[in-house]
Amino acid sequence: MDPRLERILQSRREFLTTTASGLGGLALTSMLLQEGVLAHADEPLPKVENPLAPKAPHFAPKAKACIFIFMAGAPSQIDLFDPKPKLNELDGQPLPESMTENVRFAFIQKETAVIRGCHRTFTPYGQCGMELSDLLPHIGTCADDIALIRSMHTDAFNHHPGQLMMNTGVMTFGRPVMGAWINYGLGSESQNLPGYVVLSAGRGTTGGASNWSSGFLPSTYQGVLFRNQGDPVLHLSNPANLPHDCQRLGLDAIRDLNQMRYREPQDPEILSRVATYELAGRMQSEAPELFDFSQENADTLEAYGVNRSEGEKWKSLRSGGPDEFQTFASNCLLARRLVERGVRFINIYHATWDHHEDIDNRLPFNCMMCDQPIAALIKDLKQRGLLDSTMVVWGGEFGRTPLGENRAGFRKPNTGRDHHPFAFSMWMAGGGVKGGQVIGKTDDIGWDIVEDPIHVNDLHATMLHLFGIDHERLTYRYQGRDFRLTDVAGKVVNKLLA
Amino acid sequence: MCKSGWCFFVCLTFAVCPRLVADESADPLGLLSARCYSCHGPEKQSNGLRLDSQESLLQGGDSGPAIVPGKSSESLLITLVSGGDPDRVMPPKGDRLTEEQVAVLKAWIDAGAVWPETAGETPAPVASDHWAFATPVQPEAPAVANAAWPKNKIDCFILAKLEGQNLAPSPEADKATLIRRLHFDLIGLPPTPEEVDRFVADDTPGAYERLVNRLLGSPHFGERWGRFWLDLARYADSDGYEKDGVRPYAYRYRDWVIDALNRDMPYDQFVVEQLAGDLLPGADQDCLLATGFHRNTLTNREGGIDPEEDRDKQNVDRVNTTATVFLGLTMGCAQCHTHKYDPITQREYYSFYAFFNAAMEKDVPAPMPGEVLAYREAKQRFDGQVAELRKTVDEYRATLAQKLPEWEKGLTVPPEGWTVLDPVSYASSGGTEFSELEDHSLLAAGYLPPEDKYTIVVRSKELGLKTFRLQALTHESLAKKGPGRAQNGNFVLGEFTLYAAPMNDPNKMQQVKLVRPKADFEEPGKEIGLAVDGDTNSGWAIYREGNFNEDRYATFETDEAIGFPDGTVLTFVLDHRYGRGHNIGRVRLSASKLPADAIQFSDQVYAALKVSADQRTEEQKSALLDYFCNLDPTYRELSAPLDALLKAEPQPPKTMAQVLVRNPDPPKTFVHLRGDFLSKGDEVQAATPAVLPPMHARGATPDRLDLARWIVDPANPLTSRVYVNRIWQRLFGRGIVPTPDDFGTRCEPPSHPELLDWLATEAIARGWSTKDLIRLVVNSSTYRQSSVVRPDVLELDPENRLLARQNRYHVEAEVTRDAYLAASGLLYDVIGGPSVRPPQPAGIADLGYAGQVKWIDSPAPDKYRRGVYIFFQRTVPYPMLMAFDCPDANSATPRRNRSNTPLQALTLLNDPVFFECAQALGGRILREAPEDEAQRIRFAFRQCMGRAPSEEELARLQQFLTEQRHAFESDSALAASFANAHTPEEKDAPERAAYVALARVIMNLDEFTTRE
Repeated sequence: MDPRLERILQSRREFLTTTASGLGGLALTSMLLQEGVLAHADEPLPKVENPLAPKAPHFAPKAKACIFIFMAGAPSQIDLFDPKPKLNELDGQPLPESMTENVRFAFIQKETAVIRGCHRTFTPYGQCGMELSDLLPHIGTCADDIALIRSMHTDAFNHHPGQLMMNTGVMTFGRPVMGAWINYGLGSESQNLPGYVVLSAGRGTTGGASNWSSGFLPSTYQGVLFRNQGDPVLHLSNPANLPHDCQRLGLDAIRDLNQMRYREPQDPEILSRVATYELAGRMQSEAPELFDFSQENADTLEAYGVNRSEGEKWKSLRSGGPDEFQTFASNCLLARRLVERGVRFINIYHATWDHHEDIDNRLPFNCMMCDQPIAALIKDLKQRGLLDSTMVVWGGEFGRTPLGENRAGFRKPNTGRDHHPFAFSMWMAGGGVKGGQVIGKTDDIGWDIVEDPIHVNDLHATMLHLFGIDHERLTYRYQGRDFRLTDVAGKVVNKLLA
Repeated sequence: MCKSGWCFFVCLTFAVCPRLVADESADPLGLLSARCYSCHGPEKQSNGLRLDSQESLLQGGDSGPAIVPGKSSESLLITLVSGGDPDRVMPPKGDRLTEEQVAVLKAWIDAGAVWPETAGETPAPVASDHWAFATPVQPEAPAVANAAWPKNKIDCFILAKLEGQNLAPSPEADKATLIRRLHFDLIGLPPTPEEVDRFVADDTPGAYERLVNRLLGSPHFGERWGRFWLDLARYADSDGYEKDGVRPYAYRYRDWVIDALNRDMPYDQFVVEQLAGDLLPGADQDCLLATGFHRNTLTNREGGIDPEEDRDKQNVDRVNTTATVFLGLTMGCAQCHTHKYDPITQREYYSFYAFFNAAMEKDVPAPMPGEVLAYREAKQRFDGQVAELRKTVDEYRATLAQKLPEWEKGLTVPPEGWTVLDPVSYASSGGTEFSELEDHSLLAAGYLPPEDKYTIVVRSKELGLKTFRLQALTHESLAKKGPGRAQNGNFVLGEFTLYAAPMNDPNKMQQVKLVRPKADFEEPGKEIGLAVDGDTNSGWAIYREGNFNEDRYATFETDEAIGFPDGTVLTFVLDHRYGRGHNIGRVRLSASKLPADAIQFSDQVYAALKVSADQRTEEQKSALLDYFCNLDPTYRELSAPLDALLKAEPQPPKTMAQVLVRNPDPPKTFVHLRGDFLSKGDEVQAATPAVLPPMHARGATPDRLDLARWIVDPANPLTSRVYVNRIWQRLFGRGIVPTPDDFGTRCEPPSHPELLDWLATEAIARGWSTKDLIRLVVNSSTYRQSSVVRPDVLELDPENRLLARQNRYHVEAEVTRDAYLAASGLLYDVIGGPSVRPPQPAGIADLGYAGQVKWIDSPAPDKYRRGVYIFFQRTVPYPMLMAFDCPDANSATPRRNRSNTPLQALTLLNDPVFFECAQALGGRILREAPEDEAQRIRFAFRQCMGRAPSEEELARLQQFLTEQRHAFESDSALAASFANAHTPEEKDAPERAAYVALARVIMNLDEFTTRE
């Protein structure tokens, strides 16, 4: 390579090695100075607002980052988190009509529906003695860090509205999701990566891209899906395998020419555009490192199970392709690496948990896939001192019925469960959450909540609270109304707070 | 939907009114006045409730009537003031009412709640002093000091304000900037360098105005301004929600919009046709297409969805969209409770809802003009040919008919052919419900499983059964009449199996081998033999082009006769494994002792022969004559061409359109308490909000047409203002009212209220011509100003609300794409037609539900069409569009966001679609520009920016070219792939690659996608 070119690139590289945290607190103008967009510090600073610049919360936060593990399709709380021995006593019996007459089901035919017993065994875990299913032996070892909520409820009983509810606080399309709200409220600590990253394994979710949409908020805040095929971020790699050095030549020319242009219309927007291209360039150089697990030690990889597969015996149960196990485990590890790099909000999606049929095989399959990596993630965060500031949330859009599913057309009726929005379980750990406790109670058959009902809006209010945000004050004016993540409701759940 | 109590919280605040305090313990009205009127009186009606007249007390608010005269215990008012509902205690602040006070109210209600005549029977009408609710009156243009500057009255309003701040307007932008601005604003495409040159060189008076007229006359005008409208119409090519099925004909509405704008349809007509085109006298196909506006509403087809719930959601969307788009009202706030800020009650919301509740969705044939003509011609030709052939055939048939009785005399009727089997039991593995019809056929209904296995059991006393027949019959209840249950009426019979067992020992069931299968029709590749080949994955189907929805049958023989002395149980299994409901819809089984070939007569002919000639039905007569005629070789020869022709009947065009029509039997409309469609409050009739001028309905029940005409009535204070404000926003990047979606009391106030009213009244006076209004605005000096940021104004007016300069902003997603395609020379600029699917990264469509979204890239040249034609799949929209703030088509979007993200940069740099544009421009540079390097750079720069680069810019680009060429020269394989060269050995590959890189840099400059 031309030595002159080499020199130019050398200085570039030095800049690129600047870590995210090092840049975190700097205002954009100083970044621009560093970038050479502004020649001198005494030049009048143009007003450039970086929409992702870190912003002060309403009060001192506990959490700085969130990893929301979204089990799309709705996992069965009865078989995982909320033991109901009574169901086995009542197995095969119908519910009294008084219980179901005003209830709508997605698929269950009320006339012939019967209770389905639970075929799992529950054991107390941790010092707190949290009862968990035999399908979650690894997560069980984290019980003392976990706050298990057995009394969640939602308004939706269909998947897409349910996923929208869990993500945006309402069932309607077109609202921003939680990750977008939090980035809008707090900005991002990362200068090189998006503030909101979405990881996915398994099949596509019901809600598709609306699950990480910024809705009416600017698209700056939307979730960026890291893909499992091709580029991890859309269009991250250069066309025709153009080497980064060459890309840099182009980026430099673009920066210089935009800078020249700036002198005429004097529009700060041009400088924003410069900063954006620079960030894009840094993402291109940072991302490969992000995905490079070679620096992780073997124990870590082993703990997450990055190289596990489901094994021949279970192959027939795959719903998300042959790499589902590896992808999910890698996503958990990646989530930790993203947190380390200042990314504010991470979704780990997995679909599908919609076990209308064959729940006794499919649920164990899914748990086998996710139990170990999730436990590893919690322990890894803890060991690195990140758990205190990183909130991990586990849940789906609703729960599943104590009744078996008897939908017309099923070859094997009562081998699965239908959608159940009235009472389901979720759990949280870290980020200021008080672990080692179970919140809420459901009745003997897990139909209704009898203690401490927590609505999705309450969950959101609490999550925002842990981020130092008053959910009633985080608003965005759109079509004449000040919208909130918690819509018109939401109460902070004090029991969850450490 | 609201779920908590608080959104219907009736807030009676405590108000102390000293004058009345002395009386209140004895006077119920005094009590109401003192404690309740401040929130529920003439000034304010929280939650739609006012308590200052008997009528309004009885009518109540969002939660229903406040009192039930004579029954205090059933009166909500008493419940709330006595603390009967802990979540809703009234008054919410201050002291609670004392027990005595509650008792006074109770006594008054129990005594009939008599309202004294003096207390005013009719409450004052709803009034608002909010500016936007008063009909605009055209103001005089203000006087200005600099009289030379204004080109029209718009400028007077703008300049007067500037002069008030001692500001001078900016100079006119240079001509190269002006033409580029006009091109982007009016047609959404950049000008070519030649167009720029011509305009810059044209010094004759009126050059600018002529340019404006040329652009307004361009067919691309409709695409540009149509896209703005599609944002409001939440247009998409799919249903939305989980299933997100495609709407293959949504584009008919999109094309209607583009066409209406190109024809400059007056805005009032534009509105009326979209809201109520179907109700217009003499409504033609175009009027119906226009109603597609409200068919862009999402549809949820997820399992278990209550159709009524989805219909309610759609109506809610139609109400909210109508209010936002045409009235600039945030009416949606009143869905669950009376509007918190604007004078719209929840009751009024549902009165508005009633207009749409009386409509229903319909998909109608809507052929494109060319299709109709072609069909009509073909059909006419066909009918003529048929008539001609039929004449000859019929004449000969008549002569044969006379010979029929004689033939019959000599006929020995053979033994009956088919015996129809009467099923004794039947079952479906997939949940299909069967009903047995009189002819012993089984009709499938109810749940349609993707795959299904039918098991049909019959009993037979016959011995020696040799042949079996399976009929797949049509029925009105089936899709396209069937005979299959698939959407097009097809089926695929994967395997047909027969078991036989002696009746006295049904467990001795054995499979019967079926041989020599025959069918009266087979789809190529899905022949009848495949239904008895032991492989359920292959099967018999009956699809063919055109109308194939007719009765079909297949016959099967057995090698050995079937039948047990004491009777036989026959079990038929029809296994359908093809999926997507390709199951037979109506099935009938028969058996015979004859071999199939020996069964001479059809069922009908047998039936005819069984009765005497004078007893036969017309059908039987015809069937018999048919049979007889077909024995005659001359007849067969004569009728063969007719039969062949009939099979080739031209089909009417399949193009459909989604429209809205009047529901002949409309459901009643009720207030939905808390917005919940299951919680019905009072019944309401269609009406418009009281705060706006009254509606003049044509009949007793106002309909959508009345609503539409009320909206465009010049007396309506909102419509014209909202309309002109939007046009202003499209031409300045910001509206005079910056909240185009909200003209209510919480809107951001207009920067130039008089100008807004002047434009609103002017638009009506000019006959609502959109092009005329745009012409007026772009011809103004205000519009022509330079957009260079002025440091002297920044402090005073950081948002440039006073317009001391034009604004400068990035063009929208679609226009970004269009600019790349135009500058590269790839653009394929035909207008209208079905939406296209340009390439997108692999795996995007897979994010849709269960892999049901299919994205097959459109081939060239369709993949080079403008952004407005990109297929919009709601759950997984085209990523480039979403990266650039294209709305998600879920609700009306009067104003797009403008964000600036690294994903945008990565898209423009690396997305293969955009890189292909750089490659194409690189090619053009070498083909079209002179050989000189500087000239080549200038050529490329001018293709993109319309202007030549400065010397400094040129030097920087030259430097880049040198660096880049250098890099490519050392890696010829890289150069070849970058330049898209055919072989890596091509000599000029590094040079070509360097120019591709140059094009890529220029196309990534801020200026390229900025409207200045």
